[in-house]
Amino acid sequence: MKQLIVLFSFLSFSVVSQAADGEYAVSKISPELLKKANAVLRLEELNFEIINSGKAVFTNHYVITILNENGDDWAEFYEYYDKHRKIESLEGVLYDATGKQVKRIKTKDAEDLSGVSDASLMDDNRYKRHNFYNRTYPYTIEYTVEINYNSTLFFPMWVPQGKEKLSVEKSTVNIISPADYQFRYKTFNYSGEPIKTQDKKNNVVTTWSVKNMPAIEKEIYSPLWHELTTVVIFGPGIFEIDDYKGNMASWLEFGKFVQSLKQGRDVLPDNIKQKIHQLTDGITDEKKKIAILYEYLQKNTRYISIQLGIGGWQPFDAKYVATKSYGDCKALTNYMFSILKEAGISSRYTLVRAGANAGYITNDFPSQQFNHVILSVPLAKDTVWLECTSQTLPSGYLSDFTCDRDALVIDETGGHLVHTPKYSLNDNIQIRNVIATLNDEGTLQIKSATKYGGLQQDDIHGLINNLSKDKVKEALHQQLDFATYDIKEFSYKENKSLLPTIDESLDITVSNYATITGKRLFIIPNVMTRTHRKLSADVERKYDIQLGYEYKDIDTSTIIIPAGYSTEAITPDTKIESKFGKYSSSVKLQDNKITYYRSYENYSGRFPAKDYAELVKFCEAIYKADRNRIVLVKTEQPAKGF
Amino acid sequence: MKFKITTCLILVQFSLIQVQAQDKSTAKFGDITEKDFAQKVYSVDSNASAVVIADIGSSKIEGNSKGWFSLVFKHYKRVHILNKNGYDIANVSVELYTNGSEEEQLDKLKAVTYNLENGKVVETKLDVKAGVFKDKVSKNWLVKKFTFPNVKEGSIIEFEYTKTSDFLQNLEPWEFQGGYPRLWSEYNLVLPEFFGYVFLTQGYKPYDIKDRKVNKENFRIVDSRGAGASDVFTIDANVSVYRWVIKNVPTLKEESYTSTLNNHISKIEFQLSEYREPLVYRNIMGNWLKVGEELMKDELFGQLITKDNGWMKDIINPIIKGVTSKTEQAQKIYAYVRDNFTCTNYNRYYPDQNLRNIVKTKNGTVAEINMLLTAMLKHEDIQADPVLLSTRSHGYTYQIYPLMSKFNYLITKASIDGKDYYLDASEPRLGFGHLPLRCYNGHSRVINASVDPVDLKSEMVNEVKTTTVFIINDEKGKLVGSMQQTPGYYESYSLRNRIKEKGKEELQKDIKKAFGAEVEISQFVIDSLDKYDNELGIKYDFDLAEDKEDIVYFNPMFGEATKENPFKSAERFYPVEMPFTMDETYNLQLEVPKDYVVDELPKSMVLKLNEQDEGIFEYRISQSGDNISFRSRIKLNRANFMPDEYEMLREFFNYVVKKQSEQIVFKKKK
Repeated sequence: MKQLIVLFSFLSFSVVSQAADGEYAVSKISPELLKKANAVLRLEELNFEIINSGKAVFTNHYVITILNENGDDWAEFYEYYDKHRKIESLEGVLYDATGKQVKRIKTKDAEDLSGVSDASLMDDNRYKRHNFYNRTYPYTIEYTVEINYNSTLFFPMWVPQGKEKLSVEKSTVNIISPADYQFRYKTFNYSGEPIKTQDKKNNVVTTWSVKNMPAIEKEIYSPLWHELTTVVIFGPGIFEIDDYKGNMASWLEFGKFVQSLKQGRDVLPDNIKQKIHQLTDGITDEKKKIAILYEYLQKNTRYISIQLGIGGWQPFDAKYVATKSYGDCKALTNYMFSILKEAGISSRYTLVRAGANAGYITNDFPSQQFNHVILSVPLAKDTVWLECTSQTLPSGYLSDFTCDRDALVIDETGGHLVHTPKYSLNDNIQIRNVIATLNDEGTLQIKSATKYGGLQQDDIHGLINNLSKDKVKEALHQQLDFATYDIKEFSYKENKSLLPTIDESLDITVSNYATITGKRLFIIPNVMTRTHRKLSADVERKYDIQLGYEYKDIDTSTIIIPAGYSTEAITPDTKIESKFGKYSSSVKLQDNKITYYRSYENYSGRFPAKDYAELVKFCEAIYKADRNRIVLVKTEQPAKGF
Repeated sequence: MKFKITTCLILVQFSLIQVQAQDKSTAKFGDITEKDFAQKVYSVDSNASAVVIADIGSSKIEGNSKGWFSLVFKHYKRVHILNKNGYDIANVSVELYTNGSEEEQLDKLKAVTYNLENGKVVETKLDVKAGVFKDKVSKNWLVKKFTFPNVKEGSIIEFEYTKTSDFLQNLEPWEFQGGYPRLWSEYNLVLPEFFGYVFLTQGYKPYDIKDRKVNKENFRIVDSRGAGASDVFTIDANVSVYRWVIKNVPTLKEESYTSTLNNHISKIEFQLSEYREPLVYRNIMGNWLKVGEELMKDELFGQLITKDNGWMKDIINPIIKGVTSKTEQAQKIYAYVRDNFTCTNYNRYYPDQNLRNIVKTKNGTVAEINMLLTAMLKHEDIQADPVLLSTRSHGYTYQIYPLMSKFNYLITKASIDGKDYYLDASEPRLGFGHLPLRCYNGHSRVINASVDPVDLKSEMVNEVKTTTVFIINDEKGKLVGSMQQTPGYYESYSLRNRIKEKGKEELQKDIKKAFGAEVEISQFVIDSLDKYDNELGIKYDFDLAEDKEDIVYFNPMFGEATKENPFKSAERFYPVEMPFTMDETYNLQLEVPKDYVVDELPKSMVLKLNEQDEGIFEYRISQSGDNISFRSRIKLNRANFMPDEYEMLREFFNYVVKKQSEQIVFKKKK
């Protein structure tokens, strides 16, 4: 998200300077900043003025020169607003390449649109949008927006280089705070200390600035953005939202605030209490109890998001969920918390940042970095994790949506950071057995049995639980890598446990799987498990390589072929080992039976940039090995046994 | 156990008899018993996550208190939710039209969830006051949304509401088919004889009940808008009572090469055509000539292009300076509009603002941009007219009825020196005389004095792709090749867009990736990259790796082989609608690798689609001395195929894939 900024004293200054003809002329951009750039941030001034612990004013003033069509994204202005964040004013100016002012707009010229997200039944998000739609390149746009915050839960962030291929001429952020107000910050790739001054009102002005940052280009498997460019994040000390107050100085304190939002919202109606006792009284094994109640939750609720005002942060109470049988992540987690409490089990409301490979939290900087809530249930020996918005996940399994990341656990004493479970190489498995028969036309009848485990079963879990059987078949049609084929039968069996697995069996007929010419038969013995990863080789790697996900595949295939063939060309056994993984495959023909074996381990980790060439080679070798064809020729006499 | 089965059978038989006799849905609001929960699988679709038990709509026209008439639409629906995947049907949205002052009203909303708990039916009502949300999505549309409370697997949900509209042109259409299967879908309509509506029906499922009766009705119209006492009018008139029912409607699945499923689902729509006696007669729908005439008089349509527009000369003069040929002038103007204006909405056939504004803001809808183009061409005395059409995803239009709501797009037709050009300046990098593929959707209308129909059919576009490859032994005995390719126009167009976004280097990288790491690509050239009117030319040289194996296998198609059959499903229930016809030719001249001999060549073959010349696949290969000549051609002369031709089409591509995967085998000389 691109946040916008400016202070009044600066505003008058910039108005004066605009009069100076051609200030933003493209000719004034240093050639260094044009390299690899689609746009140049000429000037950015963010001012965040903290009025008191509950109010702030944010002004964002920025000027961007768009160099070509691919930079057009930068020309669009949009800014969300809601109950806690109001757009006070907006101004925009368009300049031509010489820096001459072409057009000017005000707040009323911007479109005002509903921002209700697709995932919500209702929320109060709206946004303003404007675009000059200039198509003569290069050109320059300037926007100044002022936003009033009546909550200080969120502070803006300073990311001068918001995306790749943007260079920066000058960018500044000022945090203006009353002398007695403590805010916090953390810098990434910023050398030196901020400059502190005082304004006329005796406020402290803390300033960070950068100049002349050349554009950068992202690379595949790059580290996170804040490792590549300058970022400063800010957070409140004391903050307020509606009638709630909190302190963000530590995770413990922030946790207290979260606790205060949900305090007293765990009262269940009597009928639900009875139900809980009916289900669990007499059961002593706590894990079993949890599993039963989690299943009860899954059967009796569904995810519906209604987020209005403070409702974006505060859960609906347990009674609401009990009567409606729906809620968002906060409401459902709080409901499960209440259910467990009634059953005598203490659990923790836990904030996470959800998303596959998107859960990074700056763990030494307490602030609202979360977008989701789950429940953790600490037991004597270990912890059970519950995703309360899912009607299908096994009790205790988190999936790639929330696994392996820092999370903020809330209890009566406040908040504590913990790390959610990581699923590793031996958890994320795919073990496949294929038995196939090839006829004289080259048609292959395949029966496969595959066990998927851990993160490798996530997609299939989603597929079979969210789609009707027809749609699953359609999805299989998209996924399987054959030219013309029919899926005759398919079935799935889920083994729901802390580390779930799914058994898949497929019965497929593939037309022309093998190519049979006059006397030869060409066939790829690796029928179903082929990597698709190919990387471009001739890139000069700049950044470290970040590989996120580790897994293991094992394949055993047997293909019965028509009688009377012998090998003409067969690939020798392949063994590839590197720091990125381990691969081996072998194939042999005996009588009319081809036996193929493949094993692949894909490692995760961080590797220096210089290893990139090796990674490319590794992928290429596997890509090729997976598609190795064997060639058989007709022998004079049929093979023995037929 | 045995007893249970017997009762089951009896029940089934009994219900069969009932179904045959049934001409009314048994579903009635609130009338739910435990028996309604018994069925877990429905034969209409055994995989369904939810089944609509009854979906019943009724529309009628009533006199209102504003001195005119209102539409009153009642909607009742009952759904059995069978599993979690059907939960989304419990989220309901009702769209309401507004013109700024008047707004369609939703009221009498009732929504109830029924669950079977301990053998008893338990009701949970929607809290209408707190649980209905209103979202203003655009200037003319509001959405009221709610979700059912207490929904679980096995729940039955029911709602009914009334929607009242003062917009007589918004007579509610009815979709008999949709995202979930329906056991009973019914629409009732009571139309007084003094309003004429045209009925538009589509779909492949016949009506189980189709009925029309004539009754008498009294209409009371009150006009209380004035200051004094209200005026009251009454009209006695004949009304037609229509009823349509389709039972057991399955869902329709979207397959490849479908314009839009909306063209194929069972559906009925209405269009207000006229006012009749005792009202003052008025033709509302008119005919094409009349509609054209009115559009031409319209301030924001015809007047935009018939006015003097003298102010344009300052813009146009520099563009066409020194150009005398009319065609060339048109090309320059087209390129100017295309390159300087951004299209912000590809879903408009009617301009919302005048041309000066568009020139000022540099953006506009597709209608506005092409109107500007039309006006600028006319300014230079080039014959140009706007053409209304509906894009493929928006559905077909009707040639006989001038139904404006069926249109969503406007292009320009220019006629220069006896030649017609269809132009769309809304897409960057689209060439002069080329339309985006979405525009080829059959019937379209030129808006001018004669309002001529134009049939923009997909057969008008022929994608012709030619690839020529030469491979020889170089002086060191290594195989080196050169590739020359002219992709079809639309492939060129999408390549241009990709190159613009990612750069030429990325395209080269992708080609190299497809060959594999050991192949070196050099002399990579793309011709005509900026000549948007033409196809691209792609050229490069490549070295094949030295393969000194005893036997070498070689696919003469390289990466150009068709690897997948585009028709995946085994069956098809509605037509295949491809966006164009095609003609792809691949030629290879190959020198046998040094020190090798040919051991096996694939067999030549020719495959015809149907007996007539509707399509052909050629695969010809021959050897003469050390040279192998190879040619593969796929030519389809039709773009549209009926469901009963589907199997043939699928089989055709099956052959293509099979044949194009075959290999040449070389053996080392002994």
